[in-house]
Amino acid sequence: MNRIKAVIKSVESSDSISLVELETAAGKMSAVVVETPDTADYLKTGREVYILFKETEVSIGKDLSGRISLRNRFDCTVLTVERGKILSRIVMDCKGERIVSIITTRSVESLELKEGDRVTALVKTNEVSLLEMDGNV
Amino acid sequence: MILKLEKRLKGSEGEFLLNVDMDIPEGSFVTIFGRSGAGKTTILRMIAGLEKPDRGFIKVGNSVYYDSSAGIDLPPQKRKVGFVFQDYALFPNMTVAENILFGMEKPDRGFLDYLLELTGLEKLADRKPDTLSGGQKQRVALARAVARKPEILLLDEPLSALDMETRKMLQEELQRIHRDMNLTTFLISHDFSEVFRLSDTVYVLDRGSIVKQGRPEDVFVQERLSGKVKFSGEIVDIKREDVVYIVSVLIGNRIIKVVADPAEAEDLSIGDRVVVASKAFNPFIIRV
Repeated sequence: MNRIKAVIKSVESSDSISLVELETAAGKMSAVVVETPDTADYLKTGREVYILFKETEVSIGKDLSGRISLRNRFDCTVLTVERGKILSRIVMDCKGERIVSIITTRSVESLELKEGDRVTALVKTNEVSLLEMDGNV
Repeated sequence: MILKLEKRLKGSEGEFLLNVDMDIPEGSFVTIFGRSGAGKTTILRMIAGLEKPDRGFIKVGNSVYYDSSAGIDLPPQKRKVGFVFQDYALFPNMTVAENILFGMEKPDRGFLDYLLELTGLEKLADRKPDTLSGGQKQRVALARAVARKPEILLLDEPLSALDMETRKMLQEELQRIHRDMNLTTFLISHDFSEVFRLSDTVYVLDRGSIVKQGRPEDVFVQERLSGKVKFSGEIVDIKREDVVYIVSVLIGNRIIKVVADPAEAEDLSIGDRVVVASKAFNPFIIRV
């Protein structure tokens, strides 16, 4: 599970779903959660939270161009590539935050991913969970 | 129902004070959770009138069971309480029906039939306890405990000696009896899934004091995720495969497999209690 510290910048809600905009060291992020400030009291502007997302939900782009719906994109440098038979694990540094991605080894080959590559890590907004931090930070 | 109880108890680590103050809405299903020796059974015994608090007050509906300052102490038979223990404590020389009838204030065949049906014992009414399985015996004990039409049902680890399958069936029956008979039920249990499945409120007891209380999901899930799909379970296997780990988690009586990154699998070991969570967006729902 990737875990990044963030501050809530804004919360926009419908009946039970909220779009939360967040600021992290790696850049701006957004999350869609099935909660509202009424059901989760930590959904407040200014609150510090953790952003969680699974390694298997992180896509990797190289030389990206064109438009794409994914709102969470980070410029990263590949630190390590660990290849398995089916899956591979890529550890990236994104402005000081460490993000891990697990993608198929085939994709690693077709992207020709290697250490030191400049890449974009992409996460769908609805794959991002928020975790309340302990105490009233 | 109001419960204020104080009593000095001797534990394995010396004396301690049991001191609880609970205000429980009638009709609740309450679990008391805690290590052995924390005072859980003593609370149930004091509600039943089998043990006396040093000081306290017990009121159920409009009737005061116990009030040390007014000198009120109703004897057990005057309290509308049913009790089920881990060992069935049935009369071996009586049939199932006789055991249940024994629990009644006045024999009531109609009510007996209702209880037999409620607990699925119709066909076993004329059998003696020693010809029954553990689950069947515990059903008889349960039927006998509610035969007095109590207001309060006290369950002291009633299912812990039973296998998983039987346990699950009895949990459903407990829930049905609790609802149908409009009971306020107290359960002592160490089984997380049982506590989650059955109780409205959990009180966590530690050396005589309530250290936590609330809905099971709030008491047992430390961190609050914004994910909505959450199950608690126990890790039964961790296996490395390729660059990831496959962690098998027992939830209820099913094992589900979760893919975990090595960084998180390192912190996990077999036997750990865990929460498996997913965002509300991910699960598929398929009609069966």
